[in-house]
Amino acid sequence: MNRAIVFAKRNLIEMSRDTLSYIFCAAFPIVMLVIMSLVNESIPKQANMTIFRIDNLAGGIAIFGQTFVMLFTAIGVARDRNGSFLVRLYASPMKGRDFAVGYILPMLAVAIIQVVLAFGASVIVSLVTGDELKILGLIAATAAVLPSAMMFTAIGFLFGTLFNEKSAPGMCSVLISIGSFVGGIWFDVDGTGGVIADISRWTPFYYATKVARSAIHLEFTAENFLWPMAVVIICAGLITALACMAFSGKMRADLA
Amino acid sequence: MAKAIITDKLTKVFKDKTAVNAVDISVEENSLVALLGVNGAGKTTTIRMLSGLSKPTSGKATVMDLDVVSSAAQVKALTGISTQDTAVAQNLTVEENLRFMAQIYLDKTEVNSAVEEIISDFGLAQCRKKKAKLLSGGWQRRLSIAMAVIGKPRVLFLDEPTLGLDVLARRELWEEIERLKKNMTIVLTTHYMEEAQELADYIYIMIDGSIAASGTLDELEKQSGRKGLEDVFVSIARGEN
Repeated sequence: MNRAIVFAKRNLIEMSRDTLSYIFCAAFPIVMLVIMSLVNESIPKQANMTIFRIDNLAGGIAIFGQTFVMLFTAIGVARDRNGSFLVRLYASPMKGRDFAVGYILPMLAVAIIQVVLAFGASVIVSLVTGDELKILGLIAATAAVLPSAMMFTAIGFLFGTLFNEKSAPGMCSVLISIGSFVGGIWFDVDGTGGVIADISRWTPFYYATKVARSAIHLEFTAENFLWPMAVVIICAGLITALACMAFSGKMRADLA
Repeated sequence: MAKAIITDKLTKVFKDKTAVNAVDISVEENSLVALLGVNGAGKTTTIRMLSGLSKPTSGKATVMDLDVVSSAAQVKALTGISTQDTAVAQNLTVEENLRFMAQIYLDKTEVNSAVEEIISDFGLAQCRKKKAKLLSGGWQRRLSIAMAVIGKPRVLFLDEPTLGLDVLARRELWEEIERLKKNMTIVLTTHYMEEAQELADYIYIMIDGSIAASGTLDELEKQSGRKGLEDVFVSIARGEN
């Protein structure tokens, strides 16, 4: 059997048996979705603040959830590197690409499941609040957030490769905070403007959130969808390449 | 008898420390050779080089006539290793760990039978559905060795396989190793004298990265004029010969 697939299956099983992965990857984003929907209900309509309205919030929550996929990818890789299990596999006929595919593939699957769960919860919230949410938009967004899922998984792979079991989660937590802030998940970056908007536009997180929201609104314009999507795809490609190179480099160093 | 492993002045230098210094080892097929030495003697580094986990700084080594550097991939396919630390996937069950390793090494058609065979041979039937992290240290070590063996290696490297185990668990593992040595060549590192005395057909004593003495137990006793491996080892380690 293809060794990369065998390794991917092992990683998926390991993660599926970790209770924390359910709490952070599935439950926590949905809890945030519910809390922010309650916040939205509490904001006076006259304030005209729509960032937490479900059609905007759903896309943001999808990206927020992906940051936890990054965290769990990093933990998984760092934990393997810390123990002897990876040494055993280094001594097997497995090659560098088997490890890369084996780590990334199951987390992409987790990211897709997570997005489907978040969007499913969003539909329920929209039915309760009466705010419109286009089902076709959610289907489009499920496909549109795949490049950002790849990007966050690759960042997790990179952090798990570069940092140890203790520091990798810490580094990811910093990125979760920064990413969700500058990504415009919790506030309207374009509406805010100024330095914070300039900083946001230099990060791929801003574009990832914009892609998700635009897809949900079925706005496939160059400015709101195509250009941000191109940025996310390029970043995902670059970070994946960087993560694979870093892992291969570490592997070569370990085998020197 | 054919040689499974031959090294020629095998050397490993880490920055300013020579961990293994011009080691010449010859291991006959289907025999068990023990590398004996105190911590830091170079035992683990030697088997890391022989199993393709580390490149020699100089010298040469062949495993089943394959060069460990130029034919590393083929060497890895023919060898199995059980490291000092228990190398198992903690959240996988015993059976899943074994199946995982079998799928890495074997053809799809061989996997099921290999898993059942190993579970039976290693007495793992009663814990096959148990997660590895729930096993005791002795059973985890047993699983770790079973995972090293499931790929049907021609040469098995066991790095301090009984380190930290209680007397009973150690004895049980010795019985497993005795059984394994009928079908494969085994290189075992240990600093337990009684382990080498019990299991090894041939013993290499490593001191500060070099082979200080080698032979069967009888030969080593004759060379040193001492009785019992522990006294032999102490006299060689202290340079009393």
